[in-house]
Amino acid sequence: MKLVLCLLFFGLSSNFVLYSQTGPVNVLGEVLLSNTRLRDSVYTNNVLVLNDSVLRINQASLTNLLNFNSTVYLKENGLGMVSSPSFRGTTASQTAVLWNGININSQTTGQTDFNTINTRGFNSIEVTPGGGSVANGSGAIGGSINLVNKLTYDTGFTNQLFLNYGEYNTYGIDYQTQYASKKTSITLGVSRNGSDNDYPYPETDQINQNGQYHNTNLSLASGYKLDKNNTIHIFANIYKGRRNFSVPTPNALQTKYTDLNTRSLVEWESIIGDVVSNLKVAMTTEEYEFFANIDNDFFTFGNVESFIANYKLEYSFSHKMLLSLGGNYTHNSGRGSDIQSESRNLAAATLSFKHEVSASFLYEIGLRQETNEDFGNPLLYSAGIRYKVSPFYQLKLNTSKNFRIPTYNDLYWSGLGDPNLKPETSYQAEMSHIFSHKKASLSITGYFNQVTDLLRYIPGTDGIFRPENTNDVHIYGLESIFSYEKKIANHSITVNATYAYTVSENKETEKQLIYVPFHKFTAAAGYRYKKVSTYYQYLNNGEVFTTTDNTTANILDSYMVANLGAEYALGNEGNYKIGVQLLNLWNEAYESVLNRPLPGRNINFYLNANL
Amino acid sequence: MKKLIFKPAGLLLFILVFTVSCTSDDREEVVQELPPSGAYTEGMFILNEGGFGSSNATVSFLDSDREVYGSIFSGVNNRGLGDVAQSMGFYGERAYIAVNNSSTIEVVNRNTFESIATTTAMIVNPRYIEFSGNKGYITNWGDPNDVSDDYVAVLNLATNLVETKIPVPEGPEKILFHNEKLYVAHKGGYGYGNTITVIDVITQLVTSTIAVADVPSGMVITNGSLYVLCSGKAPFTQDETVAELFKINTATNTIEASLTFPIGVHPSFLELNNNILYYTIEGAVFAAAINDFQLPTSPLFQPSSNGLEILYGFKVTNSTIYIADAKDYASNGEVFIYNINGALQQQFSVAIIPNSFYFNN
Repeated sequence: MKLVLCLLFFGLSSNFVLYSQTGPVNVLGEVLLSNTRLRDSVYTNNVLVLNDSVLRINQASLTNLLNFNSTVYLKENGLGMVSSPSFRGTTASQTAVLWNGININSQTTGQTDFNTINTRGFNSIEVTPGGGSVANGSGAIGGSINLVNKLTYDTGFTNQLFLNYGEYNTYGIDYQTQYASKKTSITLGVSRNGSDNDYPYPETDQINQNGQYHNTNLSLASGYKLDKNNTIHIFANIYKGRRNFSVPTPNALQTKYTDLNTRSLVEWESIIGDVVSNLKVAMTTEEYEFFANIDNDFFTFGNVESFIANYKLEYSFSHKMLLSLGGNYTHNSGRGSDIQSESRNLAAATLSFKHEVSASFLYEIGLRQETNEDFGNPLLYSAGIRYKVSPFYQLKLNTSKNFRIPTYNDLYWSGLGDPNLKPETSYQAEMSHIFSHKKASLSITGYFNQVTDLLRYIPGTDGIFRPENTNDVHIYGLESIFSYEKKIANHSITVNATYAYTVSENKETEKQLIYVPFHKFTAAAGYRYKKVSTYYQYLNNGEVFTTTDNTTANILDSYMVANLGAEYALGNEGNYKIGVQLLNLWNEAYESVLNRPLPGRNINFYLNANL
Repeated sequence: MKKLIFKPAGLLLFILVFTVSCTSDDREEVVQELPPSGAYTEGMFILNEGGFGSSNATVSFLDSDREVYGSIFSGVNNRGLGDVAQSMGFYGERAYIAVNNSSTIEVVNRNTFESIATTTAMIVNPRYIEFSGNKGYITNWGDPNDVSDDYVAVLNLATNLVETKIPVPEGPEKILFHNEKLYVAHKGGYGYGNTITVIDVITQLVTSTIAVADVPSGMVITNGSLYVLCSGKAPFTQDETVAELFKINTATNTIEASLTFPIGVHPSFLELNNNILYYTIEGAVFAAAINDFQLPTSPLFQPSSNGLEILYGFKVTNSTIYIADAKDYASNGEVFIYNINGALQQQFSVAIIPNSFYFNN
C-alpha cells in the first residue's frame, strides 16, 4: 500500500513539473538574502519569511503552517490539541515565540502551545533557525518565530474577508479592515476559528471524542508618523480560546481548557540624522484554567503578567557601520493553584556592531549582559560573517552563546520547584551556503549546538518528578531550503522545499532525544494559469523514538501527508477568490504523538475577498 | 552544477530524491506467539501501566521456563489494553484488569487472554479489585479532584455490569476481603487519606472506619490480623508526617499494636511470606517478623546494587521477591527476581512502567 502511494505521488509530482513549466502561487516565502542599508537585524543567520499568501492557504493554526512550510518539527496531541515544537532537535521550551519582537513564551511552562496562535491575525511569520538569545533573550536556543504585523501607508480604506468551512463543522472567519493615509495607518482584525473536531480515526471504528474547540483573536496594528523624524506604533492582541481536550481512550474522564492572552505594545522611533532611537514598552498577560472533569466546577489555574521595556540606540557611520546600544527590562508577576504569588525582574544590556567592509564582506558582533536576582549574570554573545563570493554563491558563518532561564513551574511549583536551578546554556555554530540564480535559491546550513544543564523533570527514589539541571545534549544537523519560481506568459509556477537532518543526542546515554525525527522534509508546488491556481503540499516526517532507551518497539512510524488545493479568482480584478482543499489527500493514517491519531482525508472550502 | 539545479530535470531529481523515500515501518511489533504450553497458564503476568495519556499499557508474561512474552493482550485481542493498567485480579477462569485512566475494566480469560467484556459504565478511575461471592468490588477514585465522589463499584460477575456504588471517603486504593467484610485502604486520590473503611458485603454498607496514619499504602491479612503500612506524607506535600505500621484485630476492628518509623522515612508496599512482612524504603527491601513485630534497622538487601533505579512494583510470594523497575518512566522497565535472602535469580526487560505481578497457577 505504501509503495502504491509512493508511486502515485511520484507520478503526480513528476507530471506536475513537466506539464507546468511556470509561474507562482507563492506557496512559501523566499529566504531573505540581503538588505540595502544596514539595520539592527541579524545578517549572518537565515530567515524564512512566510507571508500573507502562504498564511492564507494554510489552516489557521501555527502548528499547521510550520508543519508544512518549515524545518520545525511539531507534535500535536490530536488536531487542535496541545502542540509543541522541536526546532533543530531542541526541547519544546527552547523555541522563542515573539509577537512583533516581544517574547511571548508562557512564563509558567516556558513554551508556547502552537495551537493557541491564530495565524490569521498576522501579515507575516518569520522563522529564524539557530541561537538568538542576544536579540530575543531567554529561550531562543533552537530558533525564533516572530509573528509580525506589518504597517503600510497611503493605501486608503481597504477590507479583507476570509471565510472557510470544512468537514467536522470546522469554520474560520477573519475580517481585517485598514485605513491608511500618508501619516496614519490603522488595521483592526477579528478572527474566529472553531471545530467540532469529531473526526474518525483512520483505519479504526473510533472517532475523536471531546475534541471540540473555538477561539477568537482580536488584533490592532497602527502607526502614526508624528513628523518627519518621529513615528509611533501601537499594537494590541487579545486571544481567547476554549478547548476540550480529546480523550485518549473513549471512556476516560473528559477535560477542558480555557486560556486568555493579551498583548499590547507601544513603540516610539526617532530618526535624527545618523541616530535611530527606539523605545518599546509592552504589557502581556497570560492566564489559563484547566478543568480535569468537564462536569465539575473545580479547576486549576495559572496567570502571569509581564511588563517589558526595550530601548535601543543605533548609530550608523557612513551606512557601512552600525553600532547599537540597548537595554531591556522585564518584570513578571505570577500566581497559580500550585504557585504562590511570585515576581521576578530581569534586566539586560546589549551592544552590537555591524560592519560591511566591502560589497561582498560583512561581519557582526553582538553582546548581551544579563543581570538578575536569581540566575547569575551570564554574558551572551553572537558573532558572524557573510561573504558574497559571487552573485551565485554566498557563505555565512555564525556562532553564539544562548540561554534559557527556568520557568515559574520549575522554580516555584509548590513543594517540587527548585529556586536554585541554573539556566540552560547553549553554545552553537553554523555555516550556511546560499546559492541563488534568478528566481531560484538553495540554502544548505550545517550546525552544531551544545546545550548544557538541560532542565528536565527527573523522578526521585520516591517516584516524584522534580525539575533538575541534568545532562548535556549535543545536537548537529543539516537544513536545506529551496525555492524556485518561474513565469512564462500566463503561466506561473513555484516550487519550495525544506529538509532537515537532525541528530540530538543526550551525551550521557548517547541516545537520540524522544520526539526528534532524524529526517523531516516538506515540499510545496503551486501553479497558476490566469485565474486558476492549484497547489500541492507535502510533508514527510521521519520516525521518532517515544522512549529514552530508543527501543524499536516504541518507535512512532514516519508518515507522509499531502494537501491538494485549487482556487479561482472572480471579479474584474480578481478580488474574490474561492478555493477548495483536500487535506490529507492520500488518507494517511498517522499520528505525531503516540496513540493520538490525526484526521484522514477531509475537505475544506474558502472564500477570500479584498474589498 | 549550476545549470543542473535549475533545469526542470534538476527539479525533478530533487523532488524524486526526497519523496520516494516515503514512510517507514520500523516499529518492531513485540507481540509474540503463545508459550509452548499453548496458553498463559503456569506463569506470571506483569502489568506495564504505560505512560499517562499514552494509551500504551501492556501485559507481559513469564512462563514456567522463564521465557518472557510481551504485549499479550494486544497480541491476542488485536487492540490496545488502554491508558494506565493499574491492577489485576482473578476470579474463576477470568482475569479482571483495572485500566485507570481509560476508566475501564477489561475482562479476559485468564488462560488464553481472550477478551470477554469491557466494563465501562459506572467505572471512573478504577484502582483495585477484590472478589466475594459472585461479585467483584472495585475501588474508584471518580474525578480525582472531587473528594466526595469516590466509591466501591459492585460488579456483577455474571453480567460484567456494575450493579451499584458504595460511597466511601476520598482515595480508596487497596481492597481485601476477609470474613464477610471488605477492608478498603484510603491512601488518597489527589489528596491524602488516613483511614481504613470496613464494608459489610451482605448489606453493602460501610460498617466502621478505622483511623490509621497518613497514606495507608499496603495491607495484608493473616491469622485474623490486618497489617497496614502507612507511608506518611512526603516532604513535597509541605506537611510531612511520620509513617507507621499497624496491627489491627479484624474481630473488633481496633488497633492492637503500631510501630512508628523515624521522621523522614517513607516506606511503601506491604507483602507477607512465611509470617514475615516485607516492605521497601527508597528502593531497599526490609523484612519484619510478625512474631516480634519490631522494625528492622537495616535492609534485607539493596536492589540498587544490581542496577535498580525506581522500585515501582513489589511482590513477595513462595519465598521469591519480585521487583519492578520503572527506570525514568519513559523507557522499557525491568524486572528483578530475588530469592528470599536477596540473591538475584533473574533479571529481564519488560515494557513501559511495570507496576505489579500476578500468578496464574
